[in-house]
Amino acid sequence: MLRVNQVWVKRGAAVALQDISLSLEPGRTLAVVGESGAGKSTLIAAILGLLRPSHGEITWAGAPVRACRPALVMQEPRSAFNPVLSLRRSVMEPIVASGGTIPADRLCHLCDGLELPPDILDRRPTEVSIGQAQRVGILRALVASAPLVLFDEPLSALDAVTQKHTARLISDLQCEEGFAALIVTHDLGYAAAHGDEIAVLKSGRIEEIATPEQFVLTPKPGYCEQLRDAALALGALEAAA
Amino acid sequence: MTLSVSGLSAVRSGRTILHPTSLVIAPGARIGLVGLSGSGKSTLGHALIDDLRAQGRSVAHVPQSPDEALDPLRSMAFHWQEAEHALGLTPGSADQRGLFAALNIEGGDLSKRPWSWSRGMQQRFVIAMALIGTPDLIVLDEPTSALDPVVAAATMDLLDRHLDGRETAMMLITHDLGLAARRVFQLMVMHDGQLVEQAPTDDILLRPQTRAAQALVAHRNWMALPC
Amino acid sequence: MIMGLLGFVLRAAVVLSGTAALTFALLWNAPGDPAQAIAMARFDALLTEDVIDQVRAEAGLDISFWPAFTSWLVPLLSLDFGNSAVTGRPVWPDLVTAMSYTFPLALASLAVGLAVSLPLAVLAAKRPGSLVDRCAVAVASLGVAIPAYWLGLLLILLFAVKLAWLPAMGARTAAHAILPALTLGLGVTASFTRIIRSGILEARGQPFLPAIRRRGVSDRAIGRDHVAPHAAIPVVTVFGLELAFLLEGLVLVEVIFGRPGLGTFLVQAILARDFPHVQAVVVLTALIFVTVNLLIDGIYRVIEPRIGERDA
Repeated sequence: MLRVNQVWVKRGAAVALQDISLSLEPGRTLAVVGESGAGKSTLIAAILGLLRPSHGEITWAGAPVRACRPALVMQEPRSAFNPVLSLRRSVMEPIVASGGTIPADRLCHLCDGLELPPDILDRRPTEVSIGQAQRVGILRALVASAPLVLFDEPLSALDAVTQKHTARLISDLQCEEGFAALIVTHDLGYAAAHGDEIAVLKSGRIEEIATPEQFVLTPKPGYCEQLRDAALALGALEAAA
Repeated sequence: MTLSVSGLSAVRSGRTILHPTSLVIAPGARIGLVGLSGSGKSTLGHALIDDLRAQGRSVAHVPQSPDEALDPLRSMAFHWQEAEHALGLTPGSADQRGLFAALNIEGGDLSKRPWSWSRGMQQRFVIAMALIGTPDLIVLDEPTSALDPVVAAATMDLLDRHLDGRETAMMLITHDLGLAARRVFQLMVMHDGQLVEQAPTDDILLRPQTRAAQALVAHRNWMALPC
Repeated sequence: MIMGLLGFVLRAAVVLSGTAALTFALLWNAPGDPAQAIAMARFDALLTEDVIDQVRAEAGLDISFWPAFTSWLVPLLSLDFGNSAVTGRPVWPDLVTAMSYTFPLALASLAVGLAVSLPLAVLAAKRPGSLVDRCAVAVASLGVAIPAYWLGLLLILLFAVKLAWLPAMGARTAAHAILPALTLGLGVTASFTRIIRSGILEARGQPFLPAIRRRGVSDRAIGRDHVAPHAAIPVVTVFGLELAFLLEGLVLVEVIFGRPGLGTFLVQAILARDFPHVQAVVVLTALIFVTVNLLIDGIYRVIEPRIGERDA
């Protein structure tokens, strides 16, 4: 399991993350929400070991997170791929590098579930739409069967219907394979619908960690409440009568 | 005065991306133009703006992100004056103070360039600029998707409040029916470059007629929570 | 800001002292006997060993490298370039005279380059891929390929020899500067055109332009207020680099057209092994480079203040 224990991260003189503690079991989903600049992407970088905490530690099953080969869905769909390689090369690269192979039917099955045309992997990043690029990014992260998958705004370039289908596919696969998912998103509807827990991040601190029900019905007064109200006002959450 | 356009269409590299479309927009209307990616929403929005302009009507446009509306090398004051000038107004004649108060950006330093304002403030500035000269129609293309939720909700509320009781009609272009349903009274559903359905918001939510509308309605929320 | 300026001064000091040291070492270790070369330049005749030894002592060449280097470097710090090894006169007045010929020529060449390349680039960028555009690109590529010494000779043949419209040699009147300025100016035109053209094309792809056009702003105003400033950023960068090309071309052009100036001054100094003269030109050139880069840095900060903020 993922354990983030009292982690502080400094970026230059500024403190990007303060005293962050959270844990995530296999098969579970943690949604991290918060405004831009709250430290969401910094948290992902710290978990991946790209930033070294100035204090505290981050482990997966007691070992450094890198040892479990976590997968990442990057925020910018197009820049997540090498523009001169075919998408297939980009998708296969991490698996080939670790000496593994992927059964062809797994790739087909995932392409199908993500509503991607079968020939899409033979194209280059610039030859697909941004929404398709984003879903190929998800494909790349899921195909390797990593025990921990980090999603950084995975649905931002998709329309409302495709968002829901894609989120469903990720959840179904998670039920089958039992990976732990950490999802950074600014869409509270997505966080509430697919997170087992929601962590609200503000100015590098965790404001609250709550279940979706707690978050929606009885949010902590202040920022969490504002967030919930905004989600209602934007139609991301619907309060049934 | 009622706005009407007819026979709007668009062809790009030999493919029809917008089939001939006609629209009527009443003064003060709140319209949501909804559809999936690639359904031709933005294309219709642009064609609508160009056509109304050609008719001599004043139409303002707010793109998705402030990066698509503001030149990073130019100050906010420059953008404002440029917009006034483009409308044929003398500099300083627009009710800047009133619009800034309406959108809650009075604190912004106009001598600064866009990037020293927060994104939410930038987007509100763009909306304020769009409202110079009280246009007949303001078209907002996914105006909240680049903003944080709290800022996005506040921005939409401020805009709603400002437009309330005014003649200016609003068209909200979005893929998100959940958002549109909260903000508009009338919906237009796009599918494959065609306007397939238009009706009052509640009618579409309760009785969507076409497959496209049904899909949007079925997927409009992540979850409905008990209250 | 103050830190930036301090950093700049430090970098400039490193560049200048590095250039000075390298030049001195190169000249010192060049093959041949410098004392003999100086003596030949001074007396213009074959000389006895005694005379050469005397020259060697006078020119400070009878000591080893390090003492010679320091005895040259220390006065340099107060911008004292010393005296010519050949004529014995102070370097500074001669250098100023040379500059008074070279700088106007450099400015005239830049003006010629801009006068030709700016309209050509704007015209070419108007419709990329059109015939005008392709011709402009072709002319520009040709311009890069033609060396200054060849273009200079062609111009002399045409305008001075065949048509006899313009003087070819010397620098007595302003008309004497026309052909050299054309030679150099056309040389830089090529790269100026290419960089301005691609700068404009890139600026035209900025994401906010469609919205500004939709706001009702005229194409003219968009070009002036939005495209031009964005296009200026890469153009300013390349102007700095082009200066190197210009200085290098100046040496050739002054020699071809028999003009006095820094180039001629430098060539004569090298042939005569006139150490103080050579070093003065080299240090001056480096100083010009450093100053121009400082200027360009300043211009950047005016156009795009974020460049300054990122440094901080």
